[in-house]
Amino acid sequence: MGSAPAQIPTSFGHELRACLRCRLVKTYDQFRESGCENCPFFKMDEDNERVVDCTTPNFNGIISVMDPTRSWAARWLRIGRFVPGCYTLAVSEALPEDLQNLCEEVHVQYVPPKRV
Amino acid sequence: MARRRDEEDDDVEDEEYEDDEEQLLDDEDYDEDEDLGRGRGGSSRKRLRSDFIDVVAEEDDEEDEDDDDEGFGGGGKRHNKAPRVGSQFFDLEAQVDSDEEEEEDEGEDDFIVESGADLPDEDVDRRMHRRPLPLREDEQEDVEALERSIQARYARSSHTEYDEETTDVEQQALLPSVRDPKLWMVKCAIGRERETAVCLMQKYIDRGSELQIRSVIALDHLKNYIYIEADKEAHVREAVKGLRNIFATKIMLVPIREMTDVLSVESKAIDLSRDTWVRMKIGTYKGDLAQVVDVDNVRQRITVKLIPRIDLQALANKLEGREVAKKKAFVPPPRFMNVDEARELHIRVERRRDPMTGDYFENIGGMLFKDGFLYKTVSMKSISAQNIKPTFDELEKFRTPSENGEGEMVGLSTLFANRKKGHFMKGDAVIVVKGDLKNLKGWVEKVEEENVHIRPEMKGLPKTLAVNEKELCKYFEPGNHVKVVSGTKEGATGMVVKVEQHVLIILSDTTKEHIRIFADDVVESSEVTTGVTKIGEYELHDLVLLDNNSFGVIIRVESEAFQVLKGVPERPEVSLVKLREIKCKLEKKFNVQDRYRNTVSVKDVVRILEGSCKGKQGPVEHIYKGILFVYDRHHLEHAGFICAKADSCCIVGGSRSNGDRNGDSFSRFGSFKTPPRVPPSPRRFSRGGPPFDSGGRHRGGRGGHDALVGTTVKIRQGPFKGYRGRVVDIKGQSVRVELESQMKVVTVDRNFISDNVVISTPYRDTSRYGMGSETPMHPSRTPLHPYMTPMRDPGATPIHDGMRTPMRDRAWNPYAPMSPRRDNWEEGNPASWGNSPQYQPGSPPSRAYEAPTPGSGWASTPGGNYSEAGTPRDSSSAYANAPSPYVPSTPSGQPMTPSSGSYIPGTPGGQPMTPGTGGLDVMSPVIGADNEGPWFMLDILVNVRKSGDETLGVIRELLPDGSCKVALGSNGSGDTVIVLPSEMEIVPPRKSDKIKIMGGSLRGVTGKLIGVDGTDGIVRIDDSLDVKILDLVILAKLP
Repeated sequence: MGSAPAQIPTSFGHELRACLRCRLVKTYDQFRESGCENCPFFKMDEDNERVVDCTTPNFNGIISVMDPTRSWAARWLRIGRFVPGCYTLAVSEALPEDLQNLCEEVHVQYVPPKRV
Repeated sequence: MARRRDEEDDDVEDEEYEDDEEQLLDDEDYDEDEDLGRGRGGSSRKRLRSDFIDVVAEEDDEEDEDDDDEGFGGGGKRHNKAPRVGSQFFDLEAQVDSDEEEEEDEGEDDFIVESGADLPDEDVDRRMHRRPLPLREDEQEDVEALERSIQARYARSSHTEYDEETTDVEQQALLPSVRDPKLWMVKCAIGRERETAVCLMQKYIDRGSELQIRSVIALDHLKNYIYIEADKEAHVREAVKGLRNIFATKIMLVPIREMTDVLSVESKAIDLSRDTWVRMKIGTYKGDLAQVVDVDNVRQRITVKLIPRIDLQALANKLEGREVAKKKAFVPPPRFMNVDEARELHIRVERRRDPMTGDYFENIGGMLFKDGFLYKTVSMKSISAQNIKPTFDELEKFRTPSENGEGEMVGLSTLFANRKKGHFMKGDAVIVVKGDLKNLKGWVEKVEEENVHIRPEMKGLPKTLAVNEKELCKYFEPGNHVKVVSGTKEGATGMVVKVEQHVLIILSDTTKEHIRIFADDVVESSEVTTGVTKIGEYELHDLVLLDNNSFGVIIRVESEAFQVLKGVPERPEVSLVKLREIKCKLEKKFNVQDRYRNTVSVKDVVRILEGSCKGKQGPVEHIYKGILFVYDRHHLEHAGFICAKADSCCIVGGSRSNGDRNGDSFSRFGSFKTPPRVPPSPRRFSRGGPPFDSGGRHRGGRGGHDALVGTTVKIRQGPFKGYRGRVVDIKGQSVRVELESQMKVVTVDRNFISDNVVISTPYRDTSRYGMGSETPMHPSRTPLHPYMTPMRDPGATPIHDGMRTPMRDRAWNPYAPMSPRRDNWEEGNPASWGNSPQYQPGSPPSRAYEAPTPGSGWASTPGGNYSEAGTPRDSSSAYANAPSPYVPSTPSGQPMTPSSGSYIPGTPGGQPMTPGTGGLDVMSPVIGADNEGPWFMLDILVNVRKSGDETLGVIRELLPDGSCKVALGSNGSGDTVIVLPSEMEIVPPRKSDKIKIMGGSLRGVTGKLIGVDGTDGIVRIDDSLDVKILDLVILAKLP
């Protein structure tokens, strides 16, 4: 199914950040300029401070999901409903509380990362 | 909410993806609603709820219908569909109502919602403006369009059955099936894993659906490989074509049950908060413990407190612009910064106040110091925060006087954070260390995820209490014998002498020193070991030459350094020495003269006549440059070692090494009233253990003549190392050997030969004997016996004692009571066995026999035969596979029962260590040949074959020589006879028999065989009711 893919990271180094909700991986600049494709309600593109709050550079592993609906891996990772793009397997931090509330307000479920 | 849907409906047609997303939102709305129904929520939520009420109310019918079709089994997920559709319909209709209600609600809420609620208000405003538009459009929309959109949703929802909600149960439902795409492992350039994954994504976007791969996974912890998810290997090949970072020579399919492992990365829950312990990953401070002072999450920087490693002189040079050596030759040792010292070297020290915290820092050359600590700001990436287990020493160093108690608690919490799963086990004695119940003692009854149910010791309390595991600590009482299972002292054992909350003071079994250790790191055990006793080729109690030509005895082996008692007789001087600071091991044996001109050699017992240790006495362990290292087990310092000048000692009793060997030594001791042979028993040191006893026994018949003469030996050390030859003469410590290959006679130190290459001895033919002697586990051969149980030393005649050459003794050390629990047995071994190359007669596969076990050593069988003889490695590996450092000693109560699997690979079959069982019978053709067997234990049923008859019997007693007292009869009611191990056989259990486990970590445990699966038995353990799958051969039937 051809939903428009998310932006693809333009670099692979330390600039990469992952969205704390949907785990989409992009560079800081990409988040700043166009926000997160799955979580537009964070409005990172409007409020650049948000980028720091909503994303993290601490993540583990990258998965490029070409076909989220038909990918087992995407389903297993619960990212099967997001747009195609590069995601991370796991983030280590939870979304700040105010942003969790925001998710709640817009009726978006947020699952905090499981603690080991 | 309802409005949102309207909007969404507009979008449906033009942007499918949006729709998809919205759909998701819908689901979540539903969940949310359930949540809210539970009655929490602030003003905005309340509002939402109120406009939801209608929807839910009306949905109910829908849902019910739905239930009929699908049932509720699927949990919250499946019936989402229905409500979604329902809400779609009803939202529209219900809108007006809900709006009204909402307004009312809002009015009420106003005084609750304070200024902080700007955002929602704004939101509402916006919605209000927008609202008319979608409504109107809705009216225009014809029914078909609506229907279409619904159908579209329906259709789609079929393959997105899952929710974003994660529970373990639902996750199970997502396990890969055969219909799912597969994961393929593809090699890619190292360091380019992420890049490759991203490139493939880009390629997919550029080429569209041409690429039939579903996803690409690059794991941080797996270098050199990426995973590609696709249905067919061909798809993978197609996709990776042209990517320079991928080497698609080999594409490996990931087995379906390993697929989840690929994706299950632990989200590194880095909980970097103040006071967390971390370790530096790079630079000068690599590996050093640091404490987090400040975390800057935005810039990913972290400020840590470290013990500085600063070479002030070098710093001074640098600051003054003098030439600095480019490459640092060494890493300065950690030392607190002393400002005065710095000033003395004319280093500028500025005292500045940190504007943020108000603390004062000393700024030296751009580095910040406070209280002697270095405050360093580094990238988060350059520290590791996981699994940091500060050792006690480290914490001690970190503790500044001001934060005595507090600092400890911090350490405590960090420790707890790093606890492994399954830290507490049923039956553990615990104490509550935090909270209201502090200091309550109890026993673990049940362990849940976070909570531990304990049975409190105090009366009047509920039967069990659930306590968070973070509030619990293992509890030991003085007198408990424990074993350290983690940390630098891992493997050490000792007795608890003092308990300070979560810190124990243990009197180490080996070193007789006090060890401070966290209660968390120990388990109760009756085992006696020493922990690490070896680094590289240096072992505990070795005499070593140090850098500056001083020398000393290693009295303690720490994780990376040795404590060495220096050879300075005036006062005991101990220094901590790194491996690289040791020049070599001193192995040469010297003889010196004591005060009365008696020759003193190693193993002689001397008494110290002057100095601080006057009056102490013990065997000489090392002699070097006129200095004796005497071991006195009553000496509690320095692992019992005393360093003394030779001429301030006098020899007492007999010289063990000479007295037994040469008749003349008796005359030498004639003047002493002491018996010629010093009773060997009280020595802690088991080096003197008679490793060759049994060998000696066979030789015993030769009478006074030294048994070695005429035998073929191999030289283990010195210039003729590796040569083989016949012994022609023996004179004291030297042996004259006629070399086979060179046709000449050389003289070598007796210690340097091994007499186990008996090529032409008659024993070879006496196969029966040979087999017997091959058994490395004959009790009398295990060197620990003389010490532990002197009565079990039947074979120890003086002449064999003579065989107790120190060199060899060292080689045998592993079997001795102080034998190390070597984790690195395999690595460590070759070094120590290096002295005895012939012990590995080219049979690398039989690892178990590489070790110079007394049996194999003496046996006339070269190692090769050994493995050919069908001595299966499996059985020993079965042991090895069951490393269970926690297992307390076997019921037979032998304190040195090795429970650590890692130890065992060196000992054939692992049995020699459990002499208490006595059933060390390898002569038994059946059991011995299979090497499965010598595990006779009390109470088990055996098949006794005596004088042709076969009768059942029950082992009632294990005798030290390996035979057993067996009560005949299937329930042991008959006569009691003594049966040799070769005459009995374990009775293999059948299903539903009661059994005893004869090997592995569960040795000695009883249970019931509840099933048999091939060669495995399924056993329910009596105590724990756990079900275990064990090799049938290690199960013995109980009467």
